[in-house]
Amino acid sequence: MAEKDKTVKYRTEIQQMMFVSGETGEPSVETTTMIEGIVQQQVIEMLSQATSTAARRGVRSISTDDLIFLIRHDKAKVSRLRTFLSWKDVRKNVKDSDDKGGGADAADIDDPSLVAGAGPGPGGPNMPGDAAKKSGAANKKAKVGLPWEVASLYAEQVPERDDEEDEEEEEMNFATLQRLKNADERTKNMTREEYVHWSDCRQASFTFRKGKRFREWAGFGIVTDSKPNDDIVDILGFLTFEIVQTLTEEALKVKESEDQWRKDIGQGTGEGGEKEESRKRKRESGLFDPPEEARTPVQPRHVQEAFRRLQHRDNKGRAMKNFTRGTHRVPLKLI
Amino acid sequence: MTGDRLSAHPPSTHSTDPDAAPEDDPTFLLFKSRLKIAEDKLSALLEAGIDDTDGQAANKDGPSAPAESTPAPAEEQNRGVKRPVRFIDENYDDDDDEEEEDVNNVSPLKSKSSAPNNINSLHGPPGSPMPKKPRLDNQPSIASSSEDVRKKLEEEKKAAEENAKRSFHKYIYTLESDRDAMVEQQKLDELDRQVENEMSGQNGGSASIVAGNRPQQGTLGSTNLGASSLTLKHLIATIDAKRDQVHASDAQLRNLISEVRKKSSKWASEERIGQGELYEAAEKVLMELKAMTEYAAPFLQKVNKRDAPDYYSVIKHPMDIGTMIKKLKSLSYKSKKEFVDDLNLIWANCLKYNADPNHYLRKKAVHMRKETEKLTPLIPDIVIRDRAEVEAEERRLQHGEADLDGAEDSEDEEPIMASRGRKAPKKGANTARKAPAADTDGSPAPDIKPPGSAPHGSGSLSNLKNEFLRADSDVPLDGSQNGFLTPPPPGSATPLGPNGVLGSGAPGSQIDPTEADGIASTMSGLPPIEDPDQDDQDFQTWKQVTKKDRAHVAAERHRLFQGGQLNLEAPALLRSKAGMRRFMRQQMNAQGEQSEPEHESEKYGNDGEGAAPGATLAEGMEGEEETLLPDYYDPVNAIPELNERTKWAEDSEGLVIPQSDETLRLFPEGQFTSPDGSLTRKMEANMRQMQETRKVVAKIGVVKQMQLQAQTYHNQFQKYDPEPFVEADIKTTVVSDDGPIMSESVCKAALQRSVGKVCYHAGFEEFQPSALDALTEMTSNYVTNLVKTLGVYTEQPKVPVSQDQGVSAGKKTDWKPRFSAEESILHTLHQNGLDLESLESYCKEDVDRLASKLGVMHDRMKSHLADLLRPALADNAGADGAGAFNDGSQQFYGGDFAEDIGEDFFGFKELGLDQELGLESLSVPFHLLQNRMHNAYQAQNTNAATNTGVVFEEPPKWAPITRDNVDQQIGLVKAWFQERLAKNDDQPLVEDEELPSKQRFPKPRLPPSGKISSPRKRPIKEQQASAKKKRKAEETNGNTAQVNGVVNGEGTSVNDGTKSPGRPIKKLKLEMPGTKDASAYGDRDGEKDAEKEPGSAVGMMSPESIGA
Repeated sequence: MAEKDKTVKYRTEIQQMMFVSGETGEPSVETTTMIEGIVQQQVIEMLSQATSTAARRGVRSISTDDLIFLIRHDKAKVSRLRTFLSWKDVRKNVKDSDDKGGGADAADIDDPSLVAGAGPGPGGPNMPGDAAKKSGAANKKAKVGLPWEVASLYAEQVPERDDEEDEEEEEMNFATLQRLKNADERTKNMTREEYVHWSDCRQASFTFRKGKRFREWAGFGIVTDSKPNDDIVDILGFLTFEIVQTLTEEALKVKESEDQWRKDIGQGTGEGGEKEESRKRKRESGLFDPPEEARTPVQPRHVQEAFRRLQHRDNKGRAMKNFTRGTHRVPLKLI
Repeated sequence: MTGDRLSAHPPSTHSTDPDAAPEDDPTFLLFKSRLKIAEDKLSALLEAGIDDTDGQAANKDGPSAPAESTPAPAEEQNRGVKRPVRFIDENYDDDDDEEEEDVNNVSPLKSKSSAPNNINSLHGPPGSPMPKKPRLDNQPSIASSSEDVRKKLEEEKKAAEENAKRSFHKYIYTLESDRDAMVEQQKLDELDRQVENEMSGQNGGSASIVAGNRPQQGTLGSTNLGASSLTLKHLIATIDAKRDQVHASDAQLRNLISEVRKKSSKWASEERIGQGELYEAAEKVLMELKAMTEYAAPFLQKVNKRDAPDYYSVIKHPMDIGTMIKKLKSLSYKSKKEFVDDLNLIWANCLKYNADPNHYLRKKAVHMRKETEKLTPLIPDIVIRDRAEVEAEERRLQHGEADLDGAEDSEDEEPIMASRGRKAPKKGANTARKAPAADTDGSPAPDIKPPGSAPHGSGSLSNLKNEFLRADSDVPLDGSQNGFLTPPPPGSATPLGPNGVLGSGAPGSQIDPTEADGIASTMSGLPPIEDPDQDDQDFQTWKQVTKKDRAHVAAERHRLFQGGQLNLEAPALLRSKAGMRRFMRQQMNAQGEQSEPEHESEKYGNDGEGAAPGATLAEGMEGEEETLLPDYYDPVNAIPELNERTKWAEDSEGLVIPQSDETLRLFPEGQFTSPDGSLTRKMEANMRQMQETRKVVAKIGVVKQMQLQAQTYHNQFQKYDPEPFVEADIKTTVVSDDGPIMSESVCKAALQRSVGKVCYHAGFEEFQPSALDALTEMTSNYVTNLVKTLGVYTEQPKVPVSQDQGVSAGKKTDWKPRFSAEESILHTLHQNGLDLESLESYCKEDVDRLASKLGVMHDRMKSHLADLLRPALADNAGADGAGAFNDGSQQFYGGDFAEDIGEDFFGFKELGLDQELGLESLSVPFHLLQNRMHNAYQAQNTNAATNTGVVFEEPPKWAPITRDNVDQQIGLVKAWFQERLAKNDDQPLVEDEELPSKQRFPKPRLPPSGKISSPRKRPIKEQQASAKKKRKAEETNGNTAQVNGVVNGEGTSVNDGTKSPGRPIKKLKLEMPGTKDASAYGDRDGEKDAEKEPGSAVGMMSPESIGA
């Protein structure tokens, strides 16, 4: 076990994240190890890609833009990340002003309307406590600009006006809201203790207060030359959470369809069969369904399949490859 | 040719060798006499005319010749009935010549014994070619015992060829194999050249000896008269020498000589009997074999050691066709057997080396062997013998007695014995003499042989030759023929002269017809057997027969191309009349075979007859060679029919009708611009929007810059006024053909522009040309792929409309394309990584949404600019706008005359800012000029932003420091003030703010953050001292505070604290280098500027303070 600890560093975190993502059972060590391996691979890939992007700009150290650039096609994710970053900014500012003893000031100008405006805030799973949210409202929530947005076409940066609402942002927020809604559904019937556990789990992070461990784990200094700053580490923490979540959700889907197939075929092998039976019975009885503890957790094979599905190439990749013949090595796809 | 030259060595050496000539009196005399005779003959010849040269000469030399000639045919007829008629001619001539010789020899000229001989040798060649003439136009049928067989073979072959030829136009032959043919032909030519080169190189040594001949040939005109020119060289030399006496033009002479020359075989040798026939035939056979390139190619050259390293260890006696040609040319072959042995050696070597029965070369070798067997009967079974030998032998045969020189006798004795033996003895000797043969054969070159033994040497050589006589039976005939072809060599003439009595029985020519027939029949059994390998006899024949022509045509065609493209420099293809006629004839032939004979005669009879005379005449004139190739082989025939409209036509008055008008058309416009579509329109609108916004942005930049800068200059700001995008179409272009314009550069430029537009649309205002190039390349590649894929899908084989019908009915099947147009397009998109969704999302996201975003940005920019330009109307102006007056500017009530003057301050008008400001006048907006004051005011009034009006009165201004009140200042600064006042002529000191604006020191500006970020930019000089100053500034900080306090004029104890809320903290300013004083005012708030020490010349002094 001690030996394993060397390689497996985030078992608890991953379990927590999986729990938040909908896995109610206790996943085995193999599963978490596998997930951790995948996540590590993804992180290293992201870092090396971002480094090469930065190198193309002629800079050695990677910036947040380089990282965001990697996931630019996933608009919902970018939106979440931006929300996360802007809140992070807010939190930092508040911290600063708190340090200066201006905390009272901030509390003074607590405007209910602004707090309401910050409503989507909890969407960021890593969003810490209420204090930050409240004080964040005081410091103006700055939107994180990205270099490939329209605003950067022009030389002058102009402050945004309040009356403009980006429809794209709304769209992007939709996905975030959907997630929140799912989480809400999940927590609806939770008891107080369960909810506390749940929200504890939501704070699980690869990076939060584990900076050193994460740096080693992700191979900083090996993959990238420079020492990435906190922002990047935070982004990576956010993204790793996303990866685990995506993987888990996909694995659950895989498992579900497998169960369905088993049921259709009418054969239950091993635990699957038992579970099926029990579920049937449950469904019949219906009334006092024990919550889904009885379900088996996802197996490594489900994670594997989920990973495979997530690595599926989209058709776009072959755009320039028609009539070229020969196999093309494709890079790892970022989840 | 080279062989001939070699064979002609003896005379040449005799005539040109300077050492030999004086010593050799007989030779000298001989030449003299020759000269005389030649002169006589020449004059006679020229008088008589060209027609009857031979007869004339013959008549002159030997009047008995015609008389003798008559019995000869009779004799011939008696002997060989089977002979073809033309051989009578041959023999007639042979006899004739022989008679001549006899006459010459008989004539008892003792002292000038060589003279008649010489005469004979001079015009021997004119007589001797006669028998050759009928043969030359034919196959290599050499008069020999197997004549009939050969003829038969020839006929068969010809018949087959004819047959094949007739069927040629029944098939369409592809041009595939032509390239091979061409290459092979080139190879053959190459081989020939190579052999030629080697031979000439080999000849180089002897050439120096022969060199004397060359100028003679040269003087008689540039034409190379060929082999016989050597035999005629004395004649030529004479003619050259007496050129002025000869009453004939150069051309005439040349004609004469060439006529003479034509008739002699190039192999014919004076010394070597039988060589002409044997070599003629052998060469033909060799050429024939060589021409079977399909099979012969591997045997053309020596086996390269690199290709087969162990070859020469396996094969001890390598042989190849090239070597054989060389040997042939160096006259190494002495008999048919040697030649045939060598041939068979090639195939045997191949079969031996390539032991694997499946080896591809074996097949070729076997085929070649078969061909060889077919062809060898065509070679007469001749053993070359030395002329002298033959004559000696014949003499002996005739007279049975040889009672002349002992030496001569002993020389002759041996060969006769050998020839009698009918064997090929001394193989070793044979091989030994092969190598030096070329040099020594009957040519007693002085450097090889000691001069004294020259005649002797040649004699012994000829003896050697005689040793190899094998087929004795053939010798008489050969001798009889060759004897006249090749007159006795002068070298050996000396010993022969005395016994020059030849029996008339020499031409006895014991031909054994039966024997020859026997051979022929055995041989002729072979050819008809068809090669089992040959899949298609017709095609094989076709390939064989037309090979040379095809190679020629292919080479010709090849010449029309250059680097894979049509060669523009190639001469025009012209169809000759003969070619046209041939084409028509071929057409007729082709049709004639199909149609009935009667019909043919009816239909084509007239045309054919009508055309015939003209045709033949023209053909004769043009001398076109008949080719067997069908007309489509001719590039001329491959030219497509001319368009009716482009033909040259004249109207009734002989004016050319400009038909081109109808074919020309204007290229439609808009082919090189983006088509008008909603997407294009949207994108263009977006780009316009971007440009507009950029304009606004530029203005914002200008305004910001103006606020930052102390001074602004006219034309300081570049006007940003981008040109609207206009897509230029190509110029009006006239084309004469349908279809798009295929101009790479134009198309590329158009594509580049489109790519550039998309890039601009994506936000790139400008791009590097190389990047644009790369993008364009990629785009064109991608689009090409798209079109290719589309092509693949649309060209799929058609499928029956419905499967059932197609299978059952089988007859009336309707076919439809495999993919409908829609399917094709969808497949194409998919194959190239696109789908409708992505396209749609592009339109939605990247075009539509971008448009709205751009609109938003534009609005934002505009409002920002408005904010910048009208700060007076900003929030702090208050509800009623009264606050706008707070900064004390004269913005709203000051008169301005700029408009009256027509001055465009700062180029605002040009920048378009006046409209942006909404100003009717062109006055300088006050807040732009006074922004410092304004800023200061704003900084002051941050908290009072929302107040309306002024709450507090402005405090009274400080009284200026004068002589009177200076005493009221605190003691610390009193002295300093007094000093200043003294310098100022006791006038009151002026406050900074009251200075004219231009003289005022720029005020430090505060960034929006309110923090003092960095010191002002300073002159370089100051920077150097800045570090020192800073230190000093720190030291004297206390002083500063006190100074400020003093300046307040409020008395003694006013500290900074009281002032600071009212006045913004100014930037650190270090302007007085070197002086302690100046540095002490680091934290000056501006008021004190005028009170600086005027003595510090380096500092930024206010000029007024100095002047006052």
